[in-house]
Formats: sequence, C-alpha cells, structure tokens
Amino acid sequence: MQEATVSDGRFGRVMVVVARREVILVLACAAASILFATLSPYFLLGSNLVGVARNSIELLIVSLGMAFILATAGIDISVGTGMGVAAVCIGYAVQAHWPLEAVAILGPIVGIVLGCLSAVSVVYGRVPPIIATLGLYGIYQAAIFLILRGQWISGLPGTLDPIVNGRILDVPVVLLVILALYLIGYVVLRWTALGTAVLAIGGNEDAARLSGIDVIRTKFFVYGMTGLLVGIAAVLYVGRYQNVETGVGGTLALNAIVAAILGGSTVTGGRANLVGTAVGVLLVQILQNGFVLIGLPSLWEQVVIGALLIVTLVVDALIMRVRAQAVAV
Amino acid sequence: MTARQRVGRMAGSRGAGLVVLWLVMLITFGLWIPAAFSLQVFTSVLQFSTILALVTLGQTLVILGGGGGIDLSVGGNVSLSGLVLGFLLVHGVGVWLALAACIFAGAVLGAVNGFLVARVGMMPLIVTLGTYFAYNGLALAVTGGAPISGIPQWFNWLGATTVFDVPVHVLLVLVPAIAVMVFILSETGFGRWVYAMGTNEAGARLVGVPVQRLRFSFYVISGVLCALAGIVSTSWLLSARPDVGTNLELESLAAALLGGVSIFGGYGSLGGAILGAYFLVALRTGLQFANVNSIWQVGLVGFFLILSVLLGRLAGRR
Repeated sequence: MQEATVSDGRFGRVMVVVARREVILVLACAAASILFATLSPYFLLGSNLVGVARNSIELLIVSLGMAFILATAGIDISVGTGMGVAAVCIGYAVQAHWPLEAVAILGPIVGIVLGCLSAVSVVYGRVPPIIATLGLYGIYQAAIFLILRGQWISGLPGTLDPIVNGRILDVPVVLLVILALYLIGYVVLRWTALGTAVLAIGGNEDAARLSGIDVIRTKFFVYGMTGLLVGIAAVLYVGRYQNVETGVGGTLALNAIVAAILGGSTVTGGRANLVGTAVGVLLVQILQNGFVLIGLPSLWEQVVIGALLIVTLVVDALIMRVRAQAVAV
Repeated sequence: MTARQRVGRMAGSRGAGLVVLWLVMLITFGLWIPAAFSLQVFTSVLQFSTILALVTLGQTLVILGGGGGIDLSVGGNVSLSGLVLGFLLVHGVGVWLALAACIFAGAVLGAVNGFLVARVGMMPLIVTLGTYFAYNGLALAVTGGAPISGIPQWFNWLGATTVFDVPVHVLLVLVPAIAVMVFILSETGFGRWVYAMGTNEAGARLVGVPVQRLRFSFYVISGVLCALAGIVSTSWLLSARPDVGTNLELESLAAALLGGVSIFGGYGSLGGAILGAYFLVALRTGLQFANVNSIWQVGLVGFFLILSVLLGRLAGRR
C-alpha cells in the first residue's frame, strides 16, 4: 500500500502512471461531456459551461490544499464547515461595510487560524487526523448555526465585486488567482525541500523524521496552507453569492477528497498530483451539472459522488494489483 | 495479555476518566436543574440511548480489530435499513419477513464495506467515507427526502412502550445485543482473535488468525447492529425517516473513544463504549431539559470526540 515516490527507484515509473492518469481523467471529462451533450441540448451552451467553471472555483482552491494534506497521509473533513465559519465572518464584515482590502485579508486569516487548530490537534494532541477533523467539523457546524441563529446573512453590498467580477487584460481575476495558486503549489511540491518533505512524510513518517525532516513544521504548513486556501475560497464564495446560508460548505470536504483521489492522491499518502486534482474537480463538476440537466433529482448527487469515489478506489486497487504481478513476473 | 487483563487495566486508566466525566455531568446538572433527576428522565435517557448504543457496539468491534478500522457509514446504514423495514410494513409484508429483510439489508450494506476493506484491501476510512455519502444520499434520494409513514400502529409496541419504566426495546433488543457481543468478545476465541489482530496484525496472521475473514465479519456485524437500530427507530417513530441516522457516525465514534477504546485497535471494552454512549445521551437529555439549543449538541460531541483521544494520551498510551 505504501508508495514512497520520492525515495525509491520506482519514481520514474510512477511518473508514467501519473501522466497517464491525467489523460484518463481528461478522456473521462470528454466522455461525460459528450454523453450529457447528447442527452441535453443545454449542456454545451456557453452560459452553462461558464456556470460549470464558476461553480468549480471554491472546490478547485480547497482541493489543492486537500491534495497536500492527503500527500502527508492526513485528511481534513473540516474544510467544508471551516469555509462556512470563514464565510460567516466575512459576511458580517461585509455587512459592517469593511473596505475590500480588510475583508479580503480577514478570510485568509480566519482560514489560517482554523487550519492551525487542525494542525495543533493532529500534531500536539497526536489525534488521528480523521478523528480530529471530524470533531472540528461538528464544532464548526454548531458554531455556524449558533452565530447565524439559523438565519441567512443575505443582501450583502457588493464590496467584493472587484475580485469576483474583475478582469485583468480581459482574463477574470478569479482565474488568475486559481492559476497562481496551482502554480505555486506545483513549484512547492516538485521543486522545493518542503514539497519533498510533504511527500516523504506521507511515504514513511518515521523515516522522514529520522532523516532530519521537521515533521511538525511540515504538518503545520499543510494544514495551515489548506486553511489559507479555505479562507480564500470563503472570500470568493461570499463575493459570488452575496449571502451566507446555514448549510454553507456542506459537501465541500467530500468533493475535495474525491477530486484529489480521482487526481491520483491516496489516503495512505506519499503521492500528489495537482494537475490531476484540478481535472478531477472538473469531472466532479461536469457530472453534477450534467445530472441536474438530464433531470436527475439533486438528491442523487451524493450517491453519485460517493459511488465515484469507491469505483475510483477499486479500479486503483485492481491496477495496483495487476502491476504488482507484472513486476513480480 | 488476555482480554480480561486488558479490561482490568482499562478500569485503572481510561475508564476512570469517563467516570470523572460522568460525575462532573451529574453534579453539574444536579445543581443546575435538580428536577432533571426523575424516573421520567431516566426512562427518556434509556429510550433515546438504544439506537446510539447499538451502533456503538458495532463501531467498537470495527475499531478494536485494528488496521485503521472505522465505520463512517453507520448513520446511512441505520436510515437505509429502517427504510427497507418501513417500506415493507407499509406494503403489507408480514412483520417477521420485514424484520428479516431489514437485518439482511443492514448486513449487505455492511458486507459492501467489509468486501472493499478486507478483500480489495482499501483503507476503511476512505471506503466508509464513500459509503457514508452513498448510503445517506441513497436514503434521501429514494424517498425524495420525505419519511415513509403509515406503518401499522401496533408495530409501535417495540419502540415506544415500557415495562416498569424500562423501554421494551432496551430489554428485547439492546440487552441481548450487548450480552451476545460481550460474550463473544470476552469468552470466545473469536474475541481473542479480535484483540490479537488489533494489537499485532502481522503476528496474528502468522499464528493463523484468519484476519481477512474476521475483518469482513466485523463490518457485517456492524451492519446488522445498524439494522437493529433502524428497527428500533422505525418502530418508535412509526415512520422511516431518511435522515434518522444523521450524525450517528460522529456520536458512535465519540462514544467508543470516550469509553476508552483505542482508535488504533486492540485495546478497550464494549462496557466502556456503552458507558460512553449513555454519557452522550444523558448529556443531551440534560441540555434539552435546561433548554439549551440543540445545535450545541453536535459541537459538544465533536469536542468530546477530540477530548476523548487527548484523555487517552494523558493516560499514557500510544
């Protein structure tokens, strides 16, 4: 099960598989698009495709962090309700007519604080990540309800419009932000010691510690960074919808995990594929959009996503087994 | 170390933490709302606890077996198997057949987890996260979110009647379930194997413990216990609600861990886990009595989930 891609001679072969994975995902996106295009005349409309892209924004940003956390063999279930908490803070700040810069900074700060909470319980409490973040998920959910008292924050002024609708050289600012984040993530992961440390911890934490990697700092980095991304996602969320509802971010965590795993991450850690993750997000969004268009009740969404996760994992496990046999022969 | 010695050692360390929590809670509520200590509240705690206690039994078994064992799909399983029962009863199927079908459904849902974990060799965490969404989503999707109602009134005797102020389902479902599970874990070879593979899986495999088959069975047993919980809830509410299992994964985990079960497996007892489940329900009932917003409960359960693992660290175990 353990794949230590940084340390052993199989690195090249894993890279080959990784490359193939993105191709498979793109093909899956294309196949899904063709299917939905034949079933629904609306799917290929420009406005619908733009809608798919716009709906991917938060998930793209949060999945990037999730890929890093999964690479350390961690997991964060609390990102969804965490984004909710950040969105509530941002919502009140916008309502109080804070200036754009202050609001834009507030979100990431709240996010980093929440991410560090996860890191503290995982690192210093040595609580398994799933337990710690499941607990935090519940705490954040209660916090959202308690702060909002069951009511939505709605009718917010357009303070965040320059970020959400702004364009630089006719390219949406949001797209530039996402591209920049993925580029930074890619550089950190592939070309810095920090990225190597992230993968090494996921491959074998004890070995990583013994070889001098600062495990504590690295874990704080991945959870803190994910918090930061969650905060950014919250800013964009509030800016786009101009309201904050009590159920905000409900399925975000699962979707992010599914996207990252589709993209080639494993819960056992040591692997990350950011391009695959991004295409995974697109596939998830295309499926969700398509199912709505062909008239499947939105309640089925969760079933489809859950099934997609399991099917991906089974296929992965089978491929792994076949390959192990091939190597043995 | 035998299972019995383990239990003894637990009583000395982690069990003590839970007892302290119990005392703190009882004293707090005693000073805050003395009226809470009545037979009626006692009955109500018993009434509300059965579902969580049943699910916790399965969760504990899965965790004890080690290998990262965890079952996040319990809530969806309770909802879905309850829906099977409700659907069959409403459509006039005989009660015994309907009950059997419900238990079978729970076992199948558990077997899906067991197959993926034990045979395909996937991580329990991610498998049951997938089935958590699949089962919960399926329950909502097939019903369109609306409960199945119109279950014959007489079916209510199991879930909503009491004998000497003790709910019938405690006597007929929970107590037998606990007795069987405790007997299996502490008196049979199966139980020794559970602790053995939870403590040292490679070692257990080498001495011939059928680790894969056991692990498969844990998830099936957990599924059956979820179905029992589904039966109790359907009979109690006289309707099968697609969201009845909401948050049960969180609560059952918290109950098991509060009860001193090590999340890494191989250590802990069913008695502790049950005590943990009753702690959570008593806390919730007390808060309801004190008119505290019910939303607090999710947050508190989350808090206790983390606290319980931290307490375990303080007790000086891995």
